Amino acid sequence: HSMGLSVTPAQTAAWKKQIFEQLNERTKRELDNFRHYEQAIEQSVWVKKGTM
Amino acid sequence: MADDKDVLRDVWFGRIPTCFTLNQDEVTEREAEPYYLLLPRVSYLTLVTDKVKKHFHKVMRAEDVEEMWFEYEGTPLKWHYPIGVLFDLHASNTVLPWSIIVHFKNFPDRDLLHCPSNSVIEAHFMSSIKEADALKHKSQVVNDMQKKDHKQLWMGLQNDKFDQFWAMNRKLMEYSTEDGGFRYIPFRIYQTTSDRPFIQKLFRPVSADGSMHTLGDLLKEMDPTALPNEGGQKRYQVVIHGIEPLLETPLQWLSEHLSHPDNFLHICIIPTPTD
Repeated sequence: HSMGLSVTPAQTAAWKKQIFEQLNERTKRELDNFRHYEQAIEQSVWVKKGTM
Repeated sequence: MADDKDVLRDVWFGRIPTCFTLNQDEVTEREAEPYYLLLPRVSYLTLVTDKVKKHFHKVMRAEDVEEMWFEYEGTPLKWHYPIGVLFDLHASNTVLPWSIIVHFKNFPDRDLLHCPSNSVIEAHFMSSIKEADALKHKSQVVNDMQKKDHKQLWMGLQNDKFDQFWAMNRKLMEYSTEDGGFRYIPFRIYQTTSDRPFIQKLFRPVSADGSMHTLGDLLKEMDPTALPNEGGQKRYQVVIHGIEPLLETPLQWLSEHLSHPDNFLHICIIPTPTD
């Protein structure tokens, strides 16, 4: 069932490497300079504080 | 080294930095400052712009406010396309942030669907998921789900909850090893140079001789002009989630990893920038 095309890193095909690399470049281009912008959807974040 | 699961996260957490500016013909009581937001690529404009609406309502009188809609360089933006598709189709290769104009009057009925509430977006999203599953599994997976499971998919998208969404969506991505893939690949091909909204036809992930179909095979059949010409000149970019996968990428893998939450693979064909 599913994910039949997964391969081990040593065999990673050129097309897949290309996708990984381009997604990294996309993050640099579209996000890295804009991380100070507000998110459209707020994530409720629970910060646990206290002594263990 | 990245693995396939990281691709799902990268796709889900893709953001477009956007600057919303009020249309200059709107009547305001004081000057409206622009509003900056990171928009999720996989969501819908009307689902993630409550803050924008509130921001501009503050400087307007209630009687001057009608249904909000968005424009980019003269093009009304269709809220029922995913945000990333709108950006890739109309604004890729431009300087960020994406500059969107906000309107509160003269709703362009001929170009846009009305969106009076989030339940309209939910209905659109769920009907896309059902259509995709009809193509992939003859609707067997989506019909076996319960109402709460459908709700989980929608709430996952609405609240940007990756784990909640994928706990259910993984069922929609399954197939038997003997099939080697889905029955048909749910895809839509968008072109700016065409009058029709998109190309959507039946296409199988595996060819008759058992080999895996690729992105190039799909384009060759659906939109051959998108491929480089005989001289190898690339006239068009084939863009999915802001990236250009190689044409030899297997379509089944793309469908499993680069589909939008609506379970369709949205492919934008845009002219290669000349400068």
